[in-house]
Amino acid sequence: MNGFTVREHIPSILVATLSSAFGVSLLQVTTNLSILIAADDVTGASGTVQFILAIIAFVFIVIATYVGSIVTANTFATIIAGRTRTIALMRIIGVTAASQRRVVANEGLTVGIIGAISGLVLGTLATAVLIMVSVRTGFIPSLAYTFLEPIVLIPIFGVLLTTWFASRVGSRRVLTVSPMQATGAAIEESQEQAAGHRGRNAVAIVLFAFGTVILGLGVVVGLVSPAGVMIGVLGGILSFTGLVLGAQLVMPPALTLVGRMLGASPSAKLAAQNAVRYPERSSRTTIGLVIGVTLVTMFAVATAGFQQMVDIARANEPAVYEGIDQVLTITVVVFSVLIGFSALIAAVGMVNNLSLSVLQRTRELGLLRALGFTARQLRAMIRAESAQLVIASVLVGFTLGIAYGWAGAQSMLGSMNGSPGLILPVVPLWLLGVVVIVAAVLTVAASIIPARRATRITPIVALAVD
Amino acid sequence: MEITSEDPGLVARVAGLTKSYGSGSTAVTALDNVSVGIRKSEFTAIMGPSGSGKSTLMHIMAGLDSVTSGRVWIGSTDITGLDDTELTMIRRRRVGFVFQSFNLVPTLDIRGNIMLPFELDGRSPSDDDRRWIDELVASLGLAPRMSHRPHELSGGQQQRVAIARALGSRPDLVFADEPTGNLDSRTSREVLSLLATASSSYGQSIAMVTHDPIAASYADRIIFLADGKVIEDRGRSTASDISQYMLGMEQVA
Repeated sequence: MNGFTVREHIPSILVATLSSAFGVSLLQVTTNLSILIAADDVTGASGTVQFILAIIAFVFIVIATYVGSIVTANTFATIIAGRTRTIALMRIIGVTAASQRRVVANEGLTVGIIGAISGLVLGTLATAVLIMVSVRTGFIPSLAYTFLEPIVLIPIFGVLLTTWFASRVGSRRVLTVSPMQATGAAIEESQEQAAGHRGRNAVAIVLFAFGTVILGLGVVVGLVSPAGVMIGVLGGILSFTGLVLGAQLVMPPALTLVGRMLGASPSAKLAAQNAVRYPERSSRTTIGLVIGVTLVTMFAVATAGFQQMVDIARANEPAVYEGIDQVLTITVVVFSVLIGFSALIAAVGMVNNLSLSVLQRTRELGLLRALGFTARQLRAMIRAESAQLVIASVLVGFTLGIAYGWAGAQSMLGSMNGSPGLILPVVPLWLLGVVVIVAAVLTVAASIIPARRATRITPIVALAVD
Repeated sequence: MEITSEDPGLVARVAGLTKSYGSGSTAVTALDNVSVGIRKSEFTAIMGPSGSGKSTLMHIMAGLDSVTSGRVWIGSTDITGLDDTELTMIRRRRVGFVFQSFNLVPTLDIRGNIMLPFELDGRSPSDDDRRWIDELVASLGLAPRMSHRPHELSGGQQQRVAIARALGSRPDLVFADEPTGNLDSRTSREVLSLLATASSSYGQSIAMVTHDPIAASYADRIIFLADGKVIEDRGRSTASDISQYMLGMEQVA
């Protein structure tokens, strides 16, 4: 009814597909790992290992689905913003806001179904290939591996429902569209309404403060007992939830700060303004990446911390800590890959958001071209916007990750045999390198399509009366 | 009006200009062999009904659109074959724009919008430029608004900011595309007086596209277009004379 265009929804479908494929594949891998473990003589029949594997798998699936639904909600909100005129026109001819919103939610449901099912196919294929290759190369024995266990329905329905829900959340803006906006008399809305979030902000601040106190307590308890890590985890989850919830308090200042570093050329200045133009939208766009970077950094820093403590402890008691290095390295690699997947989903959201915001700014970009912005300056502006979003997310995520990683290592191992007590956070150099490279690649990748789109805009569109 | 050689009194001109869209049987000719010049320090109105080609003529003169055949000059520069970047430089340095709506960059405050042409060119305004801009801002009554955002201003105020921006860098020629199209009649009169004053007092050359006889009555010269051709070129006229003429055009057509 509003012109359901597949093209608009490709990013959402992609995000849903990625989340679903990730969940399906991860569960299939853990199920088959359990079969493998059960067949093993030594560890066989250990229910505990299977249970822990399942828990870990679910934690990562929840993270991926969560990031995915933030991205989808954001994409839908942006799509709605671009459809304001059409929606207003429908309102003028007598369509209710509620039914308009239902239309959007139905699109969300369709996107969810398509994404969930293609994710099932893709994820199963990935697992099958992985197992086939592993069996062929003799890495694992040939057993009766299974793929379509009922458990894979969980991520499928999870993705379907969260996508649907996210589209409903993202379509809230439909209700604020006034029929007047179809007449062209209304001035282009320049600021999204930031009001009405005072309650949410208060909850966010309380959660963050409370969580940080508990996290600190965990570190202190960790000096005498490894149980400190349990307190630390609780504090970490609370404070991080507070941060995610209060993203619109944290990200705009970070974006502004990074924007200042971009320089004073006209394209950089405009880019700096654009990135904080809709504080909520940019907070939602960046928070997914912040979550990814935080988690990866946290694991890397925690592991480096472990390593350092272990090294010191080993010097004191060599026999206890034999062979632990390899285990730590494998753990951090596996975890980074699993979390990296959420970061990938967040990156899709970022590319998409930048693309849509270029589409929605057609007239403004045309105006800049008419006033003397060269195509090159316009491209530089879009790239600077992209850099600003990426750098701000990476910096915030990196800082948080170091803090959480340090607290994790400290609270878990502060009391172990031969431990030095309090240590400084250890930031592995390779992590810095990876973060810089990923940020650079993402900045360029996220801006290629939007920049090309922007330079195709002719200045005449700015003069056109729509 | 025949334009053959360079004429120092013309700030922009086109010769043998034809513009058509599409090809074959679906081709539409927006401008058909038009030759016309805009005189220096004059306020020129380009009038005509919808589809007469007046907007296309302005787009081409301003270096925004390409020609099918013919030549276009800004001052003594032939801009017909220039590439996108060269045309951008012409727009940046020698041309100013006032549009019907959506004139301002929403993320910049009023000062930022007015100074944008200087920013884009990477030069800071000279003392002389500053004096001129201060004078403009004062005479347009924008002084208390300088740190506001465009959405905090009324339509008329926004249009005045656009005028300040267009006049600020003292371009060779200011193009105004239906500058009063979105304004009420009182605000329209203010905006038109401003444009007329800029031309009469400061010698600013202005070309305004309009279909409103009252708007055109503020101009020193009126060029009428119909079906892609210049059909009349006359000096200052009253709104009622212009209306009469346009009604006559309709009846002939």
